[in-house]
Amino acid sequence: GPGVLTRTLLNAGVRVVALESNSAFLPNLQSLENSLDGQLKVIYGDFFRLDPLVTGTVKPPALSSDKLFESMGVAAVPWRADVPVKVFGILPQVRERNKLWRLLFALYECSSIYRCGRVELNIFISEKEYKVLTSKPGEAKAYQALTVLWQVGCEIQLLHKEPWSSFVTNMKSRGLAVQKTKWLPNDHLCLVRLTPHQNLFTGSLKPTNSATFIFMVKQCLAKPRSKLTDRLSSWSLDNGGKLLRELEIPQNAETRDLYPEDYRRLFEALQNSSEFAETWFNDEVMESIRNINL
Amino acid sequence: MSLLRLRAALSGPARLGGGGVPWSVLRNYSSASTKEKARRNAVCERAELLEVLKARVKQLQASSIPEVTVNKSELTLLGNDKLQDPLQEEGAPSPLEEPAAPWGRGQSLSRPSSWAEKLKKEMHVRQLKVERKLSLAASQTALEEEVKAKPKSKEKVKAKKSLKSPKAKVITAWSQAQGGSHSTCTHGKLRVTVGKEGVKAQRPPRAQKDSSHQKVLQQSIQSTLECFLFLQQPEEAERFLLSYHSSPAKRRLLSVSAYNTVMHSWARKGCLQRISRLLCMMESVGLQRSLDSYAAVLECLGRSQSSTQAVWRCLQQLKNDGFHVDDLFQKCLFEEDEKEMVLRAIRIVQPNYQLPPPPSPQTCKSSLLQDFYSKERMVSYPKLDFSVQELQECFQQQLEMELDNTVTIESVESTKPLTPQAMRARSVLSTLRSRWHGALLQALHKSKRSMAKLRNTSGYSTLYPYLCLLPDEEYVGIMMQIVNSLSPQGESLAVLARELGSKVYNRYITQRKLRSRQLEKVRAVYEGYIHLLAKDSQPEEYLPREYWEKLVAEAGFGPALNLKDCSWPYMLLMRLGMHMLELLVEALRVPRNILNPRLEPRLIPVLYHIYSFHSSWQVGLIKPHPIFSQLVSDAGETLLTFNSSAIPMLCPPVPWTSPHFGAYILSDTKLMRFVEGVVQHQQLLEQCPQVQLHPVLDALNQLGNCAWKINRPVLDIIISIFNDKGNEKLDIPPPVSEVPRPSAPPGSSSSWSKAHKQELLLYKKKAAEVHSMRMDALYKLSIANHVRDKVFWFPHNMDFRGRTYPCPPYFNHLGNDVTRAILLFAEGRPLGPKGLDWLKIHLVNLTGLKKKNSLQERLEYANEIMEEILDSADRPLTGRRWWMKTDEPWQALACCMEIAKASRSPDPAAYISHFPVHQDGSCNGLQHYAALGRDLIGAMSVNLMPCSVPQDVYSAVAQQVEEFRKKDAEQGVKIAQVLQGFVSRKVVKQTVMTVVYGVTRYGGRLQMEKRLKEIDEFPEEYLWEASHYLVKQVFNGIKEMFSATRDIQHWLTESAKLIAQSGQTVEWVTPLGLPIVQPYYRSRSTVLNCNMQHLSVKSFNSNQKPDTVKQKNAFPPNFIHSLDSTHMMLTALYCLRQGLTFVSVHDCYWTHALTVDIMNQICRQQFVALHSEKILQDLSQFMLEKYCSPGRETRAQWQKKLMEQLSNVPKTGDFNLKEVMDSTYFFS
Repeated sequence: GPGVLTRTLLNAGVRVVALESNSAFLPNLQSLENSLDGQLKVIYGDFFRLDPLVTGTVKPPALSSDKLFESMGVAAVPWRADVPVKVFGILPQVRERNKLWRLLFALYECSSIYRCGRVELNIFISEKEYKVLTSKPGEAKAYQALTVLWQVGCEIQLLHKEPWSSFVTNMKSRGLAVQKTKWLPNDHLCLVRLTPHQNLFTGSLKPTNSATFIFMVKQCLAKPRSKLTDRLSSWSLDNGGKLLRELEIPQNAETRDLYPEDYRRLFEALQNSSEFAETWFNDEVMESIRNINL
Repeated sequence: MSLLRLRAALSGPARLGGGGVPWSVLRNYSSASTKEKARRNAVCERAELLEVLKARVKQLQASSIPEVTVNKSELTLLGNDKLQDPLQEEGAPSPLEEPAAPWGRGQSLSRPSSWAEKLKKEMHVRQLKVERKLSLAASQTALEEEVKAKPKSKEKVKAKKSLKSPKAKVITAWSQAQGGSHSTCTHGKLRVTVGKEGVKAQRPPRAQKDSSHQKVLQQSIQSTLECFLFLQQPEEAERFLLSYHSSPAKRRLLSVSAYNTVMHSWARKGCLQRISRLLCMMESVGLQRSLDSYAAVLECLGRSQSSTQAVWRCLQQLKNDGFHVDDLFQKCLFEEDEKEMVLRAIRIVQPNYQLPPPPSPQTCKSSLLQDFYSKERMVSYPKLDFSVQELQECFQQQLEMELDNTVTIESVESTKPLTPQAMRARSVLSTLRSRWHGALLQALHKSKRSMAKLRNTSGYSTLYPYLCLLPDEEYVGIMMQIVNSLSPQGESLAVLARELGSKVYNRYITQRKLRSRQLEKVRAVYEGYIHLLAKDSQPEEYLPREYWEKLVAEAGFGPALNLKDCSWPYMLLMRLGMHMLELLVEALRVPRNILNPRLEPRLIPVLYHIYSFHSSWQVGLIKPHPIFSQLVSDAGETLLTFNSSAIPMLCPPVPWTSPHFGAYILSDTKLMRFVEGVVQHQQLLEQCPQVQLHPVLDALNQLGNCAWKINRPVLDIIISIFNDKGNEKLDIPPPVSEVPRPSAPPGSSSSWSKAHKQELLLYKKKAAEVHSMRMDALYKLSIANHVRDKVFWFPHNMDFRGRTYPCPPYFNHLGNDVTRAILLFAEGRPLGPKGLDWLKIHLVNLTGLKKKNSLQERLEYANEIMEEILDSADRPLTGRRWWMKTDEPWQALACCMEIAKASRSPDPAAYISHFPVHQDGSCNGLQHYAALGRDLIGAMSVNLMPCSVPQDVYSAVAQQVEEFRKKDAEQGVKIAQVLQGFVSRKVVKQTVMTVVYGVTRYGGRLQMEKRLKEIDEFPEEYLWEASHYLVKQVFNGIKEMFSATRDIQHWLTESAKLIAQSGQTVEWVTPLGLPIVQPYYRSRSTVLNCNMQHLSVKSFNSNQKPDTVKQKNAFPPNFIHSLDSTHMMLTALYCLRQGLTFVSVHDCYWTHALTVDIMNQICRQQFVALHSEKILQDLSQFMLEKYCSPGRETRAQWQKKLMEQLSNVPKTGDFNLKEVMDSTYFFS
């Protein structure tokens, strides 16, 4: 856009690489770039079209993260190392949910931006999605697979809340281009910081098997009021009772009652049980990868 | 005082039945006039009475008092001028009625009158009671006590009290009326009816505002009541009815037919008393008796051999309600012995009563069919090569098959030798299946028990009656069928649930047809019908439909041959299916170690439920456990089970005589196919005058009456290749085992590399595709093999545009090359002088060669390669195999064999051929457009004009595009230069073809991109730009060549857009009289809550908003399709008149080699005749009347715009339509 965020960051004295997807705004930013002494680098590109799934040459504003980091001069660091890059941005309201899912897949696979380490995201998201990301077990409608996966993956901090009324939108209807919601409040834009957990991959959860974890969580929370034991037994794991006892999860727990950390423990327990390896579950995961990768 | 009044009001309807004069007579009968009996009855009925009583009180309470006071004025008028009343009623009371909205539409409007009516009747009853001095003291006191015992009853009594004053007035009014004769009373009643109708007529929009939910509920109630009727459980039916009747909120869901259904169940038992009670309940809520109510009463009277007086009163009442006795037999749909009983009742009073004569047959007056239907030119209907006796046997075979509902046949794979592994797997499977059968039976029992318990304590389980309709074994059988046919990839819950639900429904319908004796009647008529077709009976100058109707009329069956409409709402079907699916998933278990004995034995579920995610959607799937899939694949079982309607018919189909009746003997078939849940088509068909549908019905009968047989030599060759690994080039899908499987690296699958996962994923995808293709071919070939020695028929129905389709889904003449190659006409005809030449030309057409050459040149080419043809025929698999290189190899092979046989026969002209020869319309859609617009250049390019060689529209467009490209290239347009040498017929063909069917630039570009991608030399980086450029040029090219066509297309689109924007759906009528409505609505989905998963079900109803985009984009192609189907039907009918065998695959017409020339002539004549009609003007006029008639609110802006648009019919060119007659390549 016009560079409000960029200027704020520059004023704070940090080095900034700005991605601009609309060529109309480029000249202005480029003149800003020239007026500063290397503190700002402007690149034509769209952060939310990084590493597109389609094969073939990548045409701007889509771009590949490898090239981007190369031109930024950022080298990959181990996962447990400190945050290599901080990203600031506003999540577009159009298909916001899908963008959150894509970031999540990248996180669990350590691909795209997460290839170079625990990239910290500082993004504006709508309040309803913020509510989803930070909801607690049992909170009807808000507690979803997305919640569990983000909370397992990242530390989520709310940095700032800004009411929608502070923004001017250019919609035809003159109203705000904000989705109306039925169940969750959506009156603000929330700046959240998503810092990947250092210990995300220290257990038996690995980038290679994380798709199974994602798949498992999605299956469980497709119907949040279903019983966890029913889910487990429908996967041919009928000693699920024992498993739950070991994990100290009540037998009659509904899937929406489990904490994100419980899901992680459940997954790790399953990974270690010999039985799980032979079920059809893994085949199923493979088949659904394509569908899941939005 | 008030208590007394209440008692009177309550006891009136409860004890005295109906309230009107005749019903009290009925009561008289039932209570057998002795005091004791009355008393006993009263005691038994106490509980039931109480229910009525409660309902009554609640109802009275719910009616607002102001309403009644408004009525006061009217009621005082009762004695005076009655005819003025309705006007006042309609004018005055509305403001007070508005708050009473929950009462629903029509009812709330007619409220005052029904109130008046009710009070009046109650008073009347009371008087009668006094007159007859019937002592009801016992029961009344009992009732009083009951009422008093209820703590709430006091309030109710109070509510009642406040009604006192209006009532008093009523009494005076009534007593005045009483002073008059009996006719005053009936007058009063008639007045009410008139008033009601007036209200209805005045406000149709409000009457239509019925929420879809409510409609579904109403339908569910009706079908549940019919279940009870079927189960012969009148008590249950009544209990169910009362559960609605007793709640004011739910009561409005009950229609007259709901009460009628319950009355019918009692009538079957001869319980007059119950019926009177129901009639009175109906009256108490202001519902008018319908003809069917009288049918139920009379049936009951007939069954119990009632007194003359009772019947007489009933008939009198019937007349008073504006019906006629004859109506009963002309309009009511009777089942079982209902009709005989009604007749018996009537003959008690009128011993000489004769059934009304059937309505005289009407003749269609369409100008296109004047010749066809003219009586002078009638010819006798062509005979089949069967005797009466043989056809009767065929019918018996078909009937037995349909009675079983399913057919199990040997698959063509059964000839393969059995391996020991397969034997083992089969025995394991059969043990498992018998175990599952038991488990399912148990699960079903258990669920039914728990439902029954629920039913006894609280409300009703909606599903319970539906699980009682069939023997438990049958439900289990249906569920097992689903398990056996589940593919290893699984299936979505919704699909399975629908399948389960509809299987139960179909069996129920079969049972009902048996029970209602409908089958008996059909059999009787069919036996007569055979005489029209059999070779050893008199020739008759009737069409199948006419003959059938005549027989029905002669047998005096009337409309009784149809079953009452009893379709189940879609939601209910799904709910039932989901319940059965849940039972399946719960009950079926398999030992985990069945394939690998080293594992510990444990039972695991056979079916599992899993979600699959598509962006924001989640779809529930049911998948079989891999262990089970493995077993099934190891066992390689060779028995296939189909619905009986999937097999071609073994006797000539039952002719279509109405939108509900035709095709199979028992299986329910719709005249018009539609998406599940769409009701508009059926409504439209029912509403239009039936005579208007005759041409369409006759055409469908004609197509369905074509007898077929199997080309055995070709079938055997195909089966041999199928069983030997298939052949993808020849379109015989190989078995899944032939798909190369990637080698699996060590380690658990979760640790594989991404590339490897990708590879495995691709393999799985391919395997799934191959599996489904293989199964499809297996079904087709197995069915063909099953009927290989028989003659069979394909009953036809149509889609909503009138395009016709054979009903059996897998194996039919619409199929691919393989299926078409194994079909022959059962009837043989000599080749005649030109027949062999036609066979040869047909063969060359099938090769795809010589498309640009004249017929003569094609014939010469065939003669040139005669040696290849004979070699192919003699040694299809071992010779030079010329046939394999053709476009349609299997049909070519079959044709080669036919030519070989014919040319080797001593006299080819006398050779009897069963071979169908095809004539194809060349770009039929554009032909219709060109004819509509009289486009000169267009007509020439699609062969409407006589030419020495066939014209190719695709090449012509390609040429035009190439010209544009050259010009652009010269002017330096980069992409035009890049495309040099790439513009060809092949690149543009698909887009040109689909332009007629409304392809958009977007879709067109995708098509172009695909074609260009196939060209290896084309630089990939230009794909997008080039395809974008090309599609633009193709559209321009077509615009240039078919100028009027584009105008017409545009006009149709714009008209549809305006119509849809005004909130209406696009409707039209084809020149043959078929009414068409486009079924595209903005769908709303309802969520079905089931234990396993919530299902979102799309729901449709008649008041939905149209989907503007679809309505608009689909109108031009749908309209053109409705024209091509009309052309086909006309050709079919006139071919029938000439004694030709004729079938069609949309725009491809088939007949014997002998008759190709005649068919070609008829085809051209009918095309000219069709387009000589003022098609567009007629359409414009129809739409103007429908959408812009002055009766509607004319001020609206949209209507002006629409009127302008519709009146502005596009201008046409100056092509002379008659030229088509001499065009050789129009259809060739």
